[in-house]
Amino acid sequence: MTNPILITGCGVVSAIGNNKAETLDALLNNRSGVGPLVHLKTEHKEFPVGEVKMSDDEMRKRLNISDNNITTRTALMGMIALDEALKEAKITPEMIPNIGFISGTTVGGMDMSEQYYLDYVNNENHKEYIAVHDCGSCSEMTAEHFGKFAFITTLSTACSSAANAIILGANMIRCGEADIVVVGGSECITKFHLNGFNSLMILDTQWCRPFDATRAGLNLGEGAAYLVLETEESAKRRGVKAQAILSGYGNACDAFHQTASSPDGEGAFRAMKEALELADIQPDKIDYINAHGTGTPNNDASESTAVKRLFGENVPPMSSTKQFTGHTTSASGSIEAVFCILALQNGFVPVNLNWSQPMEDGIVPVHQSVKKELKHVLCNAFGFGGNDSSLLISKPEL
Amino acid sequence: MMKKDIYVLSAKQISMQQPLCEDWMTQPVEYQTPFNRSIDPSFKDYISPIEARRMGKILKRAIATSKEAIKASGLDSVDAIITGTGYGCIENTEFFLDALSKDGEQMLSPTYFMQSTHNTISSLVAIQTKNHGYNVTYAHKGISFDSALQDAVLQMRLGKINSALIGGHDELTETFYRILKKGGMMGQDDEMCGEAAVSVVLGTNNDDYLCKLVNFKMLHKPTLEKLKAVAKDFQADYILTGISGNHKSDKAYFAETKELFGDAKLLKYKHIFGESFTSSGIGVYVAAQCLKAGKIPAHLFVNPSEISDKKPSKILIFNHSDGNNYSLTLLEA
Repeated sequence: MTNPILITGCGVVSAIGNNKAETLDALLNNRSGVGPLVHLKTEHKEFPVGEVKMSDDEMRKRLNISDNNITTRTALMGMIALDEALKEAKITPEMIPNIGFISGTTVGGMDMSEQYYLDYVNNENHKEYIAVHDCGSCSEMTAEHFGKFAFITTLSTACSSAANAIILGANMIRCGEADIVVVGGSECITKFHLNGFNSLMILDTQWCRPFDATRAGLNLGEGAAYLVLETEESAKRRGVKAQAILSGYGNACDAFHQTASSPDGEGAFRAMKEALELADIQPDKIDYINAHGTGTPNNDASESTAVKRLFGENVPPMSSTKQFTGHTTSASGSIEAVFCILALQNGFVPVNLNWSQPMEDGIVPVHQSVKKELKHVLCNAFGFGGNDSSLLISKPEL
Repeated sequence: MMKKDIYVLSAKQISMQQPLCEDWMTQPVEYQTPFNRSIDPSFKDYISPIEARRMGKILKRAIATSKEAIKASGLDSVDAIITGTGYGCIENTEFFLDALSKDGEQMLSPTYFMQSTHNTISSLVAIQTKNHGYNVTYAHKGISFDSALQDAVLQMRLGKINSALIGGHDELTETFYRILKKGGMMGQDDEMCGEAAVSVVLGTNNDDYLCKLVNFKMLHKPTLEKLKAVAKDFQADYILTGISGNHKSDKAYFAETKELFGDAKLLKYKHIFGESFTSSGIGVYVAAQCLKAGKIPAHLFVNPSEISDKKPSKILIFNHSDGNNYSLTLLEA
């Protein structure tokens, strides 16, 4: 790529922490946030989940939002992560009208719609929540807590939504449409998709085991993360440093099935290959892959095949972090991008927890703590319908 | 950034007008009812009956308009499939929500869920056309189609792609029409609501095209000052507005266009196509077809006194969605 795209700030909230410091501590100490359901009101208590350890009320309090305000859980988590990202990048309120905001989500305000649906149909109760059902309203609610961004849009590609928001932001910066774009995604657990995933029989009643022979499905998670993307010139002018560089990215479609990945991992293979080509980096320079690694038999087999096709015998250290957070669906692309930035900054490979038996023809993930310097890492996010994306994040050259 | 020539190669629609054709130019279907569903073509030429049985209307329409648009573009395949949908697969979402609310959490069928996510549309089109290229979906109310268009324009300027299928797809059920009306999201005042399925193929080089795409810009809550600065690069002889019968929104269209574009002639299309989250895609389709035909049907003129047979050279599609999000799409013959 011609001009580097700097990541000058980021913020994250998930089951393992309400900010970056807590997240790093959990990742370094192999502390998972997956456990029994607390906040979501559902009959399905049998599924472990990675919930954010705050109620909606607690989040509103933390954000100084009055109880009378209409909010959704996805937007609240988004605000907490966005706040951290903006502060880290030293973005002041006066700068907001010149900055773009791109968010990824799929459930949007479904947490409210699924509670009040029959009211929406039958009477006037809770009708003020109708206008916050959709994905776009959710992004606007998140953004407007901080000011009037120059432009806002919303990606909705299921579990790769946030990764694709990052890609759009990068393309906007490369086109000269903006100096700074804030990108990422947010998604809360809802009854709607917990039941949807259950009906597809891809939820595990035990702690998930990505890349393990006995893996039997995923655990749902939730959270949000945003990254501040910026041109080198703008960062220099403002006196802010790059935490990492977005050196490549790829998006491809598996074009195989609405809810399953292809046996040859074509979409994943193409997305990773494109990311490497854009960055002009050879496969042997990749020091770590943060896998999509959901723990479903299908995803992990397909992703293993794709990685082996691209890297041959020399697969880089690879792990899934979904045992820490659960599958944070639309937000996973940006949450795991933050994990990759933390790994680059602190010189470690996150452990693929809860792994013991190699799967047939699968990759062998990093299952013990490894401290080592990382320069280039790949971060995968794949969505239903074969919406596959991969990000290549690098350490800034000092 | 170098400005590349970008062309609208083809554009197809299914709406409350006659499907997959331009009959609306001469004989628009007229409606007196505030909510109308689309006139569907026969889908058997596009999807096998076995597949079609499992698909919601939004998916069938997306496949039909996509396949027709690709065929009309003269391209064998496109480099990217980019879809905008404000509310996604509403029909299946409604079925799943209804079952969840009434029957509880034990007996839910996966079919509705599988076809309820917004990106079902774009990925199904990719599966049907065997396309492994760039594939994303935007879901941001009235600028969903516009966001998809912007993505393609950016990537063409960067030289990442040379062609793209841009879709704008929204369906609306009777139940959701009532819900959205109750929530103030649509159907206010004299606004007629409908559904939109529009597929547009953009390309960077071709001999045969409908029109050129000269410029594009999206803005969120801009000040009038900022709008004015942007509008300088978007002057045209005709402004295709989203005037819809929503009093507040229409008033803003009149005030803003006067301020930004002086005496340019105002056009409308929602009085025959209805309001939908992706109706701005219909706007692009309408403007492109008018430029290709070299004339603007009399019934699109806001002021009857301005009706003329003059060949249009530039049409600006000016969209403000709920007063917050703006898009400007400038097309040239």
